[in-house]
Amino acid sequence: MSRKTKRRLGDAAVSVIAIAIGLILVFPVIYCVFGSFKTAAEFMKPRLLPQSFAYLENFRNALRQAPLLRYMVNSCIVALFGTLARLIITIMAAFAFTHYNFRGKNFCFFLVLGTMMIPGDILLVTNYTTVSALKLLNTYLGMCIVSFVSASQMFMMRQRFLSVPRDMREAAMIDGCGDVRYILQVLLPICRPVVITLFVQSFITLWNTYLWPLIITASAPNMRTIMVGITKLNSWEDTNYELVLAGVTISLIPSFILFIIMRRSLSKGGMDGALVG
Amino acid sequence: MKKSLSRIIALLMTAALLAVALAACGGTTASSSSAASSSSAAPSSSAASSSSAASSSAASSSSAASSSSAASSLLGTKDVTITFWHCASDEAGTLMTKYIDEFNKTNKYRITVNAIYQGQYSDATTMLNTILSAKNYTELPDAMQIDATGKVMYSTSGKAYTVDDALAAHPDDKLLSGLLTAALANWQYGGKQLGLPFATSTTVTYYNNDLLKKAGWTSAPDNFSDVIDLYADMQKAGMTQKVLQAVPNTPTLANWLGQIGSYVVDQKNGSDGTATKLVCIDNGALAKFLTAWKAMYDAGALMNENSSVDSFVAGDVALMTSSSSALTSVLSKVGTNFEVGVSKYLRVNDTASHGASVSGSCVVMFDSGDELRKEAAWCFLQYLASAEVQSDFAAGTGYIPAASASVGLEPYKTTEANKPQYKVGREQLLKTPEAMRSVTIGPSKDFYYAIMQGCSDMLANNESVSDAVATLNDSLSTLLTEYARNNK
Amino acid sequence: MNSAPPSAAASVRDAQRRCAPRARRGNGLKIALFLAPILVFTVAFTYYPFIKTILESFCSVNTKGEVTGFVGLENYAYVFGRSDFKKAILNTLLLTAINVPVTLFITISLALIANKKRPLSPVYETLFTMPMAVSMSAACMVFKSMFSPKLGFVNAFFHLNLGWFENRATALYTTIILTVWMGIGFDFLLFLSAFRGIPSQITEAASLDGAGFFTRVFKIQLPLISPTILYVVCTNTVLAMMCSGPMIIITQGGPSRATTTLMYMMYASGYGSSDYGLAAVVSLVAFALTFGFTILAFVFERKKVYYQ
Repeated sequence: MSRKTKRRLGDAAVSVIAIAIGLILVFPVIYCVFGSFKTAAEFMKPRLLPQSFAYLENFRNALRQAPLLRYMVNSCIVALFGTLARLIITIMAAFAFTHYNFRGKNFCFFLVLGTMMIPGDILLVTNYTTVSALKLLNTYLGMCIVSFVSASQMFMMRQRFLSVPRDMREAAMIDGCGDVRYILQVLLPICRPVVITLFVQSFITLWNTYLWPLIITASAPNMRTIMVGITKLNSWEDTNYELVLAGVTISLIPSFILFIIMRRSLSKGGMDGALVG
Repeated sequence: MKKSLSRIIALLMTAALLAVALAACGGTTASSSSAASSSSAAPSSSAASSSSAASSSAASSSSAASSSSAASSLLGTKDVTITFWHCASDEAGTLMTKYIDEFNKTNKYRITVNAIYQGQYSDATTMLNTILSAKNYTELPDAMQIDATGKVMYSTSGKAYTVDDALAAHPDDKLLSGLLTAALANWQYGGKQLGLPFATSTTVTYYNNDLLKKAGWTSAPDNFSDVIDLYADMQKAGMTQKVLQAVPNTPTLANWLGQIGSYVVDQKNGSDGTATKLVCIDNGALAKFLTAWKAMYDAGALMNENSSVDSFVAGDVALMTSSSSALTSVLSKVGTNFEVGVSKYLRVNDTASHGASVSGSCVVMFDSGDELRKEAAWCFLQYLASAEVQSDFAAGTGYIPAASASVGLEPYKTTEANKPQYKVGREQLLKTPEAMRSVTIGPSKDFYYAIMQGCSDMLANNESVSDAVATLNDSLSTLLTEYARNNK
Repeated sequence: MNSAPPSAAASVRDAQRRCAPRARRGNGLKIALFLAPILVFTVAFTYYPFIKTILESFCSVNTKGEVTGFVGLENYAYVFGRSDFKKAILNTLLLTAINVPVTLFITISLALIANKKRPLSPVYETLFTMPMAVSMSAACMVFKSMFSPKLGFVNAFFHLNLGWFENRATALYTTIILTVWMGIGFDFLLFLSAFRGIPSQITEAASLDGAGFFTRVFKIQLPLISPTILYVVCTNTVLAMMCSGPMIIITQGGPSRATTTLMYMMYASGYGSSDYGLAAVVSLVAFALTFGFTILAFVFERKKVYYQ
């Protein structure tokens, strides 16, 4: 057998094994999607495939029993608004750190970076008290306000701003361009890949947060995000698993769309320094 | 440049406006459970609902007569909306929605009840605690359904509008006498009647009559040693199932200790005031109970796992001690698989008294400062505690009707006649000694888990009873002293 | 203009200075406006709660959240004396100790398999990355259903009768399976791009020199991606120490505290039982442990990590 054929056979064998492993890995997702097409009686039997893929009752019941679409809108609003706010704050801060010198600049910079060392979860209880004192419980602003600062994103933005040549700014200043105009019309277009990457990362992070929206919307079921909503689908006595799985499947659709968008934006190479090594 | 600057300012202002709008955008008082109510109205029986509709208007007119006799009643003068937080789910939830809709439709005082389902009682009390801590008193509901874990928080909230307060403003001699004493007593704290009982239950024993018959038993086991005997007989008949699957927790422990004449904590299990120490250690009651409990486990009759309805329904255990409120649900889950019997709650030994304390939920009111809303809430409370609503609710769930007149009313009358299982809980409640109280303490959740932990560890790690008593004494007392230290 | 030929270092410095924007002294108001948002939110939602938590851990706090007195180390004595706290520390450390190496092993192996570009690569690469697309809530609900003792697929398919999430002996390990699964997607992506970032000449030269597969992996590839390994170990350690989602959604810390972790205990006591002193102490202990592990990882970095 020639070397090339041996290599091709080896490749094929490894590919098949890899796909098999991949399918085992992805099995929970397959199980979830298949399970949402089963009737309650079918669920009791340990068969993988449902009787028919045309059985859509579970989806209808899940949508009727819980306002899943409303949850998705909530998630969207929280993620969108939080991401926009975060980006604006990050850009403003990164610009200030790179284009100005002032007393206490280093102190402020490391103050912000220091938040990377403190995991947000341990501050949950106090932040909850703060937000409820600000009367922001059960509101969209309350849900995203704790995520307005991301030190790692600010750091990345700053790195990117630093690599923009000085001549740009000086030329713009000569033309009489103010700071804000410069940011909007010159700097951001240059740094667009990074901005887009950070936008997508932020959006996905905010879309996926669980613990904070859980306690902020504990008493307003209509304001829940989809992540919190699907965990509240079963009442504590009865668990109709096929309904739960149908709801989870519905929630997976936007997750997968976001996943695809993220893979695309990663592959476009906007991850300057985001991946280590 | 000026143009773009103004554009920036416009953008910032829009962002600020958006932020304020998003902050205002909330979901509490504005949203009602209309989505849930419109889709999940499962009719119990059309005859029942039409009769209860007719009788509930009778109820509200009779309460109208009583409340308008009080000085300057504001009811009916203008439209009023009150907020009601409840934790009723499954069958109880469907029925609760039905009653609220009926009240909204048929009450004569232009009262609209805006009901919000808050999830489990623990979620609701957490929400309440947050509001009280942040002093957001405008967020408080007008009426709220609480269970035993919310009593202390409600009572110390500073915004409680208790039944005593309402009766002082609108006297009614006949109201309290029409309700079961044991049910009322459960919702007293510090000498005040906090709320009116809504869902009243007690703990009973469910048994799988088919399994019992196979083992040669014609009636359910009465106490722990009977359980051991039953297990021996079941083994002889070749059966592999266990008899009981349970881990003691606060209410069940209080029952069992109460049966042998001891409270768990002082202040009559915390109903007279803040409980600060255990009383079941020195009098040996806890040790007595744990010895009998361990004997069941050592004989093989007991499974050291949490009671599970699924296990009982699947026929894996012969007995299940559970709330009488689960009756309707258990019957429907079991269907025709086997015959379900209900008997009195297991006794520790044959010298113990029978009985179990009351559990369930009540409805309390908050003082919003608005007299009309307070009156409307009081009217709604009385509606929920009326004989007709209680009869319908008990028939649909298995809870015991809190109004004594409900026994003679449909649909509960027929239900009890056709299914004698419903009678057991009610009769047990009437015979339970008045001294038996459920436990009311501050650290209720931690206490609950600590008891479960201590008892299940004793069996799982094969500790001696005295070691287990020492561990429980240590952990439970620490919880009480810590709470007392932090909440002087 | 140039009097003498510039040295290499000087020309590099010149180039850098030419590239980076020159920082000017702008007017204070403008700077303050630009920095105000981030500083306000940083202080309000990170430092203020952190300091408040530290202070509260030394005070007695009632269930309404009001501080009622300074008690020194009494809260710490109380918390460290509780048996469920010791169990929580044990569970958290066990979870971390098993989660991090297992995830590392699985994802590196998968990345090695997928390293070479083959015709069917896109298929299995997507499959390996897919757990990343599933959010934590969805994963928890699916696993809860899959591992249900009576209705789940796992018991039925493998003809087992294990309790999985509902048995105190197996609950923690089932949770570890869940957390490992959730972490595979992202780490695989990182390792794959790290492996593909190694210049092929190095590996080719090694195989020409007669190095076998395992020698190549352990002596060449792994050391070359050690920065990525460090990053993954750090992030996974923090994630594992802070793990609370599956506990809240599936097990509620049970059965019998088998899956109570530090963060779950903090959530249950702070948000559930309103025992704020306990919550403060637990969160600080979790923070100290996590911080300690991160420092350890960086110390390890100095010794073992090679940067190209």
